[in-house]
Amino acid sequence: MSEEVKWNKTISDVNNGILANLAKPHPTYYVAWAGAIICLLIGASVWAWEISTGMGITGKTSPVYWGVLITDFVFWVGIGHAGTLISAILFLFRAKWRNTVNRSAEAMTVFAVITAGLFPLIHVGRLWIAPYWMLPLPNTNNLWVNFRSPLVWDVFAISTYLTISLLFWYMGLVPDLASIRDRVKGVKRLVYGIMCFGWRGTATQWHHYEAGYGFLAALATPLVLSVHSIVSWDFAMSIQPGWHTTIFPPYFVAGAILSGCAMVYSLLVPVRKMFRLEEFILAEHLEACIKLTLLTSTIVFYAYGIEFFVAWYSGNPYEWAIFEKRAIGPYAFYFWTMVFCNCVFPLIWWSKRMRNNIAVSLVVAVLINVGMWFERYNIIVSTLAEDFLPGSWGHFQPTWGDIGLTVGSFGWFFFWFLIFCRFFPIVSMSELKLIMPKPFSKKH
Amino acid sequence: MRSIDSDLRGLEDKREVFVTNDQPFESPAKEFVPGTFYVNIEEVMPELAESKDEQDTSGELKLPVDRRDFMRLFSAGAVMASAAACVRRPVEKAVPYVEQPKDFIPGIANYYATTIDRLGVVVKTREGRPVFVEGNPEHPLSQGSVSLVALSELQALYHPDRRQAPQVNYGTNRVGEATWDEVYDRLATKVKGAKKVAILAKGTTGHGVTFYKDFLKAIGQSEENLYLYDSNSLYNAVSEAHRLAFGVDGLPRADLRRSKLLVGLGSEFLDVSGVSQVFDTKSWSVGHAFRAGNKGRFVQFESRLTTTGSKADERHVIGVGDEFAVGLAFVRALAKLSEAKGSAAEKANISAVVEANKSLIEETTSRLKLDEALFDKLASEAVAKKAVILAGESGASTKNATLVQVVAIMANVLTGAYAERLLFFDQGWFKNPTRPGDLARFLKDAPEIDLLFVINTNPAYTLPQSSGIAKALSNKVVVSMQAMPNETEDYAEFKLNTHNPLEAWGDEELVAGFWSIQQPTVRPAFNSRQAEDILLWVAAKLNKPMGVEDYRSYLREKWRAIYKDSGINKDFEVFFKAIQRKGFFVTQLAKREMPSFGHVADKLKFEPTASGLKLVAHFHSKLYDGYGADRPVLQEAGDSLTTVVWDTWVAMHPKKARELGLKYNDLVVVKGPAGSFEAAVYPMPGLHPDTVAVPRGGGKKVGLSRVSDGVGVDALQVLNAEFDSHTGDPVTAGQLVEITKTGKRYRLAAMQKHNDIANRRDIMQVVKLSKAVEKVRDEKDLDNVPDLYPSHAPKPGDLRSPDSYLFPDWKASDTYRWGLSIDLDRCNGCGTCVVACDLENNVPQIGREQVSVGREMHWLRIDRYFSGSVDNPEVSYQPVGCQHCNHAPCEAVCPVFATTHDAEGMNSQTYNRCVGTRYCANACPYKVRRFNWFTHKWHIMGDRPMDRNPRALNPDVTVRTRGIMEKCTFCVQRIRDAKHNAKQQNRLVFDGEIRTACQTVCPADAITFGNLLDPNSRVSRNRKDHRAYLLLGGNPEEGEYGLKTLPNVSYLAKVLHDGSDGVAAGDGHELGAGHQHP
Repeated sequence: MSEEVKWNKTISDVNNGILANLAKPHPTYYVAWAGAIICLLIGASVWAWEISTGMGITGKTSPVYWGVLITDFVFWVGIGHAGTLISAILFLFRAKWRNTVNRSAEAMTVFAVITAGLFPLIHVGRLWIAPYWMLPLPNTNNLWVNFRSPLVWDVFAISTYLTISLLFWYMGLVPDLASIRDRVKGVKRLVYGIMCFGWRGTATQWHHYEAGYGFLAALATPLVLSVHSIVSWDFAMSIQPGWHTTIFPPYFVAGAILSGCAMVYSLLVPVRKMFRLEEFILAEHLEACIKLTLLTSTIVFYAYGIEFFVAWYSGNPYEWAIFEKRAIGPYAFYFWTMVFCNCVFPLIWWSKRMRNNIAVSLVVAVLINVGMWFERYNIIVSTLAEDFLPGSWGHFQPTWGDIGLTVGSFGWFFFWFLIFCRFFPIVSMSELKLIMPKPFSKKH
Repeated sequence: MRSIDSDLRGLEDKREVFVTNDQPFESPAKEFVPGTFYVNIEEVMPELAESKDEQDTSGELKLPVDRRDFMRLFSAGAVMASAAACVRRPVEKAVPYVEQPKDFIPGIANYYATTIDRLGVVVKTREGRPVFVEGNPEHPLSQGSVSLVALSELQALYHPDRRQAPQVNYGTNRVGEATWDEVYDRLATKVKGAKKVAILAKGTTGHGVTFYKDFLKAIGQSEENLYLYDSNSLYNAVSEAHRLAFGVDGLPRADLRRSKLLVGLGSEFLDVSGVSQVFDTKSWSVGHAFRAGNKGRFVQFESRLTTTGSKADERHVIGVGDEFAVGLAFVRALAKLSEAKGSAAEKANISAVVEANKSLIEETTSRLKLDEALFDKLASEAVAKKAVILAGESGASTKNATLVQVVAIMANVLTGAYAERLLFFDQGWFKNPTRPGDLARFLKDAPEIDLLFVINTNPAYTLPQSSGIAKALSNKVVVSMQAMPNETEDYAEFKLNTHNPLEAWGDEELVAGFWSIQQPTVRPAFNSRQAEDILLWVAAKLNKPMGVEDYRSYLREKWRAIYKDSGINKDFEVFFKAIQRKGFFVTQLAKREMPSFGHVADKLKFEPTASGLKLVAHFHSKLYDGYGADRPVLQEAGDSLTTVVWDTWVAMHPKKARELGLKYNDLVVVKGPAGSFEAAVYPMPGLHPDTVAVPRGGGKKVGLSRVSDGVGVDALQVLNAEFDSHTGDPVTAGQLVEITKTGKRYRLAAMQKHNDIANRRDIMQVVKLSKAVEKVRDEKDLDNVPDLYPSHAPKPGDLRSPDSYLFPDWKASDTYRWGLSIDLDRCNGCGTCVVACDLENNVPQIGREQVSVGREMHWLRIDRYFSGSVDNPEVSYQPVGCQHCNHAPCEAVCPVFATTHDAEGMNSQTYNRCVGTRYCANACPYKVRRFNWFTHKWHIMGDRPMDRNPRALNPDVTVRTRGIMEKCTFCVQRIRDAKHNAKQQNRLVFDGEIRTACQTVCPADAITFGNLLDPNSRVSRNRKDHRAYLLLGGNPEEGEYGLKTLPNVSYLAKVLHDGSDGVAAGDGHELGAGHQHP
């Protein structure tokens, strides 16, 4: 990839092309949005049912006290990783291909983390008091949270991550919102005017903006690694076989980036189509995204292997029993789905032709998302179902409650994401303009 | 305080009750009759009586108690009751006190001694309501333990489906509730019109029998019209066998404490169907569990795997009906030995029997591949050691039941069990609650009976339909008097609701000369009457009074006779008061000569059974014969061996099931000679391949109780009318059945989904007897677990404080550290502890659907593991509750400090703080935490509407709502109680003062609780025992420390006899074959 992306566009083309989404959208948009609303309503009603009846509407039982909901939680947190990785780390590395995809990736991050953040609430037995006890609020009884518990770390990690990614995303939006403000009239102008904090594009503002943006990028970078490490500690800090292992943090981070990149790809392809952004989000950008996915896929492949090796090498019968069961026991289906989706199917991308075949790549990207969901399901359920005492072993069977809440989480995510697509620039116009050929530079 | 309003309302009406209630005479009694006051306070404490001049002397009927007197009496009663804990005190309505009586303190329990289910128990009451049933520690038969039936009477007492009023069928389809006066009048008319009046009563050894006879006499009927019935045919079989052998009836009491060898012929003394389960378990656990270097040996021959057989040291699988021949083979081997006891005449008589059945013995032993050497070895062991032979229910319910018992008698004569007094036949023998032949007599006489009283027994359900019980109960006026509605009421014109055993008077002579009293512990919860009082009323209405005003007085008169015979030189009132406090009385034990074994060879006609699949419809280990089916806590406790709850299963040998193409949970049709039923298959190792074992207690009639509605099927309905020719009791085992696959599947709700131990070594530990004897004086220190990473510990000068561990030592108390010890050699998986825990800790029952998902709420579960061959597995039981780890994985992960370590070593759960992340339960390696997936309301139980009475809850334990984690608390309420007491007396809690609910009821004394910081406490000594180990604690002797959770609960390893792994001939190791994932 060359230093600068080759463009045949002018600045006004950028504004017109990208902000076309503010006009009447493609009919498929409404279909998608209605679908999201229906899913959201399903999820909301299942949640209401759960709150009024009890956790028992889900398939969780003794000994599998965590099931689909925590799977969903880890899944969405994982999805939320690619955005910041693309925006922050690639920003710091000055990877230019990121400029066309970072806005939607960041939006995806924010909405995915918000979705993930809902799951601890959905999943606790007593929602009505959980936030009160889970936050370290000063009180006269001197009752504090248990700082030894990874769940408390989770609260901090997720909320920090959400704050930083939200700020990062919104900060990038400010100059673009100002561009929109300049194009619209009436109430809209007022709203966008407020949202862009009166951005005028002066040199001082740009100076501060650049400094601030770089600073946030530097702040966000360690978070990419920390959040999922901490999420992995939810498992690794307990003594359950299959969970209690030091490989979990890097393994989880790699998995998160894999699922995040795959999700970015699966979102970009339809969005690009729906809002006619083919001329801005180029095939080579998509290919770069795939290369990153392929890299993380191989890391994950390695992690799966080393996990088995360590389980065998440790000589711990409980540990090995779990891995044996994952591979050839009652949870083999989930395990092999995971292996095939995350490690085997992506191998097709070693071929450049396949990388550039959008239809094939989209299928593989979606399969990776499925695989990553099963990875978490596999880790959680297989470990819990059959741990130490055979007398306490049980089985897990998801119910309609679990499915409804999962469907609802997708509805919730797409509901916000589609709103974003309709009212905000999907591609960062200001950044695009920065990497465009200067008006008087020589034509390529 | 909920009850105050409703209790105050209509108090005036209730005063009426004091006058008329329980008075069988219309005319006012001459003396002061206190009605529902069961004890006249003057009887007990004369000094508290009102002085005579203040008494109303007008002679008119006036309320014997006005409000002031009522208050005085009540408070005086309360004073008395609290002062002497075990004195039965009349329990009255909860009216608010104007002045709080000094010693009647809400929150302080009172205890009453009574007798339930043939056991002496102590009922704990709080604010006048029974909340727990414990064994009476002084009672020789219960020795502090209690049976499941007695324990669960609490749920029966407050059962929402108990009849609220008597019901009368007026004919022409008019059925209606009636008042008691109407009932008495109508009943008297009916009795007057009846030519033959009879009583069919639940078997009892007490004065009930004399009372029924007196009643029949009083109304001009023959005493012969009394029939006693009990569904457990063992009593009659043993009794009749002794009559055959010795010419004297008898139900010998076994002393297993001293026996060194126990041979069982399908014996079930550890099961509910034994002669006296609790007593036998107690003595078994002394003589046959490892204790101070000794362990008796138990060899069992049986056709299905029973709880008893699962504890055998050597077990041989025989077919149903082979007990007689196998027993004879053993007798033959004994008779060959010159050391065999018994006189020459006896030996000759015995040999005659053996000779007469020679071919049968040969045929059976060769078919079962039991060679003679086995019996010879066993016989020489039996004559060398103190040996006793017991034959039990699974043998007792075939056609040859009595014969099997005779064989056991012959063996016992030869081993000298009677002479050695391992069997008390001549003195202190058990009284038979029923009478051999009564049932047959009843079925024969039934057509002539015009009016039949059925008292607290349910023949319509507990007998096979083919026995003709339906016909016997029809075409006559049936007066059914039952504490709970049951099937027999269908035939009744009068459906009368009687007292629950907790509300009723009675007594039992359980052992000859040993009397136990039953007295009310609560004011009747509903508008019910004592059955005997109803009879008194009827007699009075017929103008044929029996001379007593109520059954209580009748009993008092009878006890006066006992008192006179005993020659006690105290006042009778003092005597009776003491009896009420103590619960029992031992008179001079009657003596009878030990007769000689007679010539019985020609009386024993063995009736061979055909070959093929044979049904054994055995007692359910929790529901008994169906008596417990309406108690949720028993339904939910599940079977000991299958762990199936709320259902009836068809247990088959796994290989037989495979042969028939059946898998676990396959629905099959079991077709017997008289009908068929459908149930799901449970492949059960250890059964004879031709045995099909189905528990009784299911398939109760719909509409009787919401608890038993639609639960299981009734296996008896497929049985033909066959009776034991000697006792006339119905045959419930050994009839041929056919099994057909339906192709449908039905998921049995088994609590345990995996049956083998997956080769894990630090879960069930086992030691060989020789090693255990050798190390008997060795001591262990389980708490000495070195740090895995010593280099990681904070050092002096380190920035980290010593508290910076993941598990800091929170201000540990230096006086108490509570611990529990469970002896796996004693545990026989009976599950009484589970039921006791449920009742003590208000653990909800959740129903079949939820249990099948795996959400049972028991704080204590019993893991049952099979090992060895499927033909004859070794069965191990392991009760697992919270281990109260000192390094608890759950405590570190709870984000809100809802589960914390307390200063006394307990892992405690703060319900208010819990938000329900369930992380603790995931982290727990023992999986003993229970989550409230729903609010288990007291009117809903899983999928069935219920209206369990919240009065049955233990007021000391809070109930939990949805979203909260809960688990074993070591009965923290009992600990607090004891500590308060100790503090008031300025001392420390002494060892044994605190007994957890599971410990109090355990019939095998397997559970010990106490202070681990007291080096002499029993629990500390158990923890130091050479057999002690920690669950998942690795193998400390080899430097492996497992998970290092450092639990306060320790286990004592199971002891196996040398030379045998507890498994007889088997073919390889097919662990739990047929037990796949459902």
